[in-house]
Amino acid sequence: MALILTFLVPGVVGLWLVTGGRALTTGAARAVALVAAVVGAAAAVVAVVSRPAVDRAWIPDLGVRWHFEVDGISAPLIILTAVIGVLVVAHAWVEQPWAGPTQTGSAATYLGALLLVETGALATFAARDAILFFIAFEIVLVPMWLLISRYGDRHNPAARADASARFILYTAVGSTLMLVGILVLVTQAGTADLDALPAAAARLTLHQQTLIAALLTIGLAVKVPVFPLHTWLPAAHTTAPTAGSVLLAAVLLKLGTYGLVRLPMMTVPDGFARIAPVLAVAGVIGILWGGLICLVERDLKRLIAFSSVAHMGFVVLGLASGTTTGLQAALIGNIAHGVIAALLFVVVGGLKHRWGSVDLTVVRPALREVSPRLGFAMILGLAAGLGLPGLAGFWGEFVALLGAWNPAHHTGILRTGVVIAAVGAVLAAGYSLRVARLVWVGDAVADDAPHRAADARGAELAVISTLVLAVVIIGVAPQVVFSVTADAAALVGGAR
Amino acid sequence: MTLQMSWGLLLPALIPVAAMVLVLVVDAIIPSARLAAPVIGALGLAVGAAAAIPGVVASDPRLTLCTPAPDGRCMWDGGPLASTLQIAALLATLAVLALASVHRAGVIDVVLLLASAAGAAGVVASRDLGTWLVTLELATLPVIALVAWRDRRAAAHGALTLLTTSLVSFALLVLGTALWVTATGDPTLTGPSLATAWAVPEQRTLAGLATVVLLAGLAFKLSAVPFHAWTPTTFTAGPLPVSALLASASKLAAVGALIVVLAPYDAVVGMARGPHVVVAALVILTVASMLAGTVMALRQTEVVRLLAWSTVAQAGWILLPLTALSVAGRQAAAVYAVVYAVASLVAFAAVRAIHGPQVEDRRDLTAYRGLLRRDPIAGGTLALALLVLAGLPPGVIGLVAKVVALRPAIAAGLWPVAVAAVVAAVLGIAVYVRWFAVLFGEADERAPARPGSRRASLGVAAVGAAVLIVTSALPQLLVGLVT
Repeated sequence: MALILTFLVPGVVGLWLVTGGRALTTGAARAVALVAAVVGAAAAVVAVVSRPAVDRAWIPDLGVRWHFEVDGISAPLIILTAVIGVLVVAHAWVEQPWAGPTQTGSAATYLGALLLVETGALATFAARDAILFFIAFEIVLVPMWLLISRYGDRHNPAARADASARFILYTAVGSTLMLVGILVLVTQAGTADLDALPAAAARLTLHQQTLIAALLTIGLAVKVPVFPLHTWLPAAHTTAPTAGSVLLAAVLLKLGTYGLVRLPMMTVPDGFARIAPVLAVAGVIGILWGGLICLVERDLKRLIAFSSVAHMGFVVLGLASGTTTGLQAALIGNIAHGVIAALLFVVVGGLKHRWGSVDLTVVRPALREVSPRLGFAMILGLAAGLGLPGLAGFWGEFVALLGAWNPAHHTGILRTGVVIAAVGAVLAAGYSLRVARLVWVGDAVADDAPHRAADARGAELAVISTLVLAVVIIGVAPQVVFSVTADAAALVGGAR
Repeated sequence: MTLQMSWGLLLPALIPVAAMVLVLVVDAIIPSARLAAPVIGALGLAVGAAAAIPGVVASDPRLTLCTPAPDGRCMWDGGPLASTLQIAALLATLAVLALASVHRAGVIDVVLLLASAAGAAGVVASRDLGTWLVTLELATLPVIALVAWRDRRAAAHGALTLLTTSLVSFALLVLGTALWVTATGDPTLTGPSLATAWAVPEQRTLAGLATVVLLAGLAFKLSAVPFHAWTPTTFTAGPLPVSALLASASKLAAVGALIVVLAPYDAVVGMARGPHVVVAALVILTVASMLAGTVMALRQTEVVRLLAWSTVAQAGWILLPLTALSVAGRQAAAVYAVVYAVASLVAFAAVRAIHGPQVEDRRDLTAYRGLLRRDPIAGGTLALALLVLAGLPPGVIGLVAKVVALRPAIAAGLWPVAVAAVVAAVLGIAVYVRWFAVLFGEADERAPARPGSRRASLGVAAVGAAVLIVTSALPQLLVGLVT
């Protein structure tokens, strides 16, 4: 029951807000959405603790079941999504993308779309039927498209149209390829139950397994995103409202990596092992590519987006190693990137809100002086992003490199990858320091300069503090995540 | 020769015919009763649909018009698949009657609609070439008259296009029928006789040719590429309710007819020389329709023209599962066709509600700007219909229909079709999201004024949207009908 409530409450309230509740006042809509998100989050905590299972027939003629369950792999992601869901709704007290000079959308629609993205992600993480997984995976598309195209960067309608179309078309290519992969898998294995699939798919020939793994991996790689399929992400991040960027980074990208673990890696491990080197190489190129672009990128939001590509490169490298260590690294790297990117996007979104743009070439007063709290949060986020020990990012990257150094197969390729990825980690230090110097240290500007930014307070401070706390807790005590994922990770077929 | 006959199974086709006769009789006796025709017509369609319900729930074979044993052949099959298509076609015609508006629909309109509905109900259940050919033409020919009925020059032009197309299609169908009988020596569409013919090389060639010619004839009715050229012209020229009929009930009749022709191939698929020529023809039609229809729809700004090209693209999706030549494929085609028919009816009803009867002017995408705020019911139902057509949640049933349609083709290992389907699905999302995006935003003051009488159109849109919502939550309600 708690599991169903987890996504049903935000889902139903979200649907109502975008349809019947559109006329609600801003205050009422925010209160309703916050209550829904909090109830959903509470139900998520209960569901993760009690681990209930729901299994009913849904479309018997297709063999699709209404089957939801939580296990060690999905539990941390469900908690992450539920918490981020509450934070993005709370952020609506800080930034109001619906009220602009050129556009006057409805607050209810905006909040409803946030809740629907959350619903889709939660349902995807909990789904235990391959086709149900696909349908839940698609739920996030339209609300996210709405967030980008209607509530995105208000100064630039052309960019909004471009970014939202790019987002929906790229991810649709990915999910349709994934659907073909799922259908091949399901028709050949004879079941859509994700728990039964690994055993059923073991009968398939290596050729079939490789084909299925390739289809599923390419499809999901668009969502992760893995180089060279990442080009939708920077545009979407730059244009989306802050809450949309947070959802993109902390929730939507995780659908991709979670799908990689749940589908190709668990169901067709032998096929996945065959294409793993390609995935590893793509991940390593992503690390370098993202790092190099970050060194020269002018737009701070875009910079964070490219750093996401680099971070997801580490996650993919961990997955491609085919070891339990690598998988553990990918799982914690996923969560860590979720919190770090969410923190950075909240800070940068706040800056963009205050400054109007986050162009790094504009000379601005030092952030540490004008708004020390925002400055501190940013420095912490950057430090965590470059993988400083004691903060969340360290575990994902360090353990991923460790896992890939002793891989289950293709040792040569993966060790080369590890060396290059280590260089990429140095690049991360380079661009993080560059941002810190330009924004945090800043430049001496006359006191009466217009670029003064008020510091974070109220809801914004609460959102930022929660994320800062999460970054530190995961960094200091990674076992809160490791202990949950350990048992499940040991059972994954693709890791040994 | 005596025929074993059970009237109950024939009722879905007979009731509309009876209603048609009744309309004519009432009109002859009391010409002043103007409301009588639409009311009798609506009742006839509804009761006809109700008469098909037992066929959906029945588990035993529902064959009738059978010749005596031992080698008895049945010419009518009221099984679940046929009954589902009958219900859908009759209710779609009922919706079109409502769109045409009770006050404006004259005796002629009602009679033509009933004739077309009776033909559609007949063709999906027929199992012999004679009944099949006659009922198929009965389903389509009245539509030509309906297009031409309003005396506009464009309408006459559209009707002429449709008439020419129908004549070519009819010629092909007659030729195909003749070839089929020559090849199999059997006027019924049954598996065993086709299998016998398939074993002999000369007869196999002839049977393959017959099927390809029949496919070509049906492709006209289904508006599959390259037999689609009439579709945009006729859709935009004729009255909107008739375009809705062409997109829904006519499409269902054509799919039903195609399913009847392909059913005997079950007996051939396993043989040494499989029906490659039939599969190849189906694959070409599928791929060409999906890709050409979607790409052309991407360029349209006039909404009815957009819907017309989207019909072409969706015809490809309907054909997609049929390429597998399996029972599951035929059921999938029926499910997809029903989902498409409901969604396109909702879209047409919403367009009608927005523009009123004078639909020819300014049916441009820009007229829909801010519709969701300006006109929540029409805008909301239209948005849902577009999402279902695109296959995006919350229009879950559209997504399920795409899964259903892809599955048989993938199970049969038809990779070219699967690749084309991926491309078409993504481009299709671009087509419908382009329109969907316009619905948001600020209302334009140049937007068309809200027409006066539009209750019927809104009702059709709302009922159709309710069907889409219920089946989105419980897809089994629809998917389970055909099995």
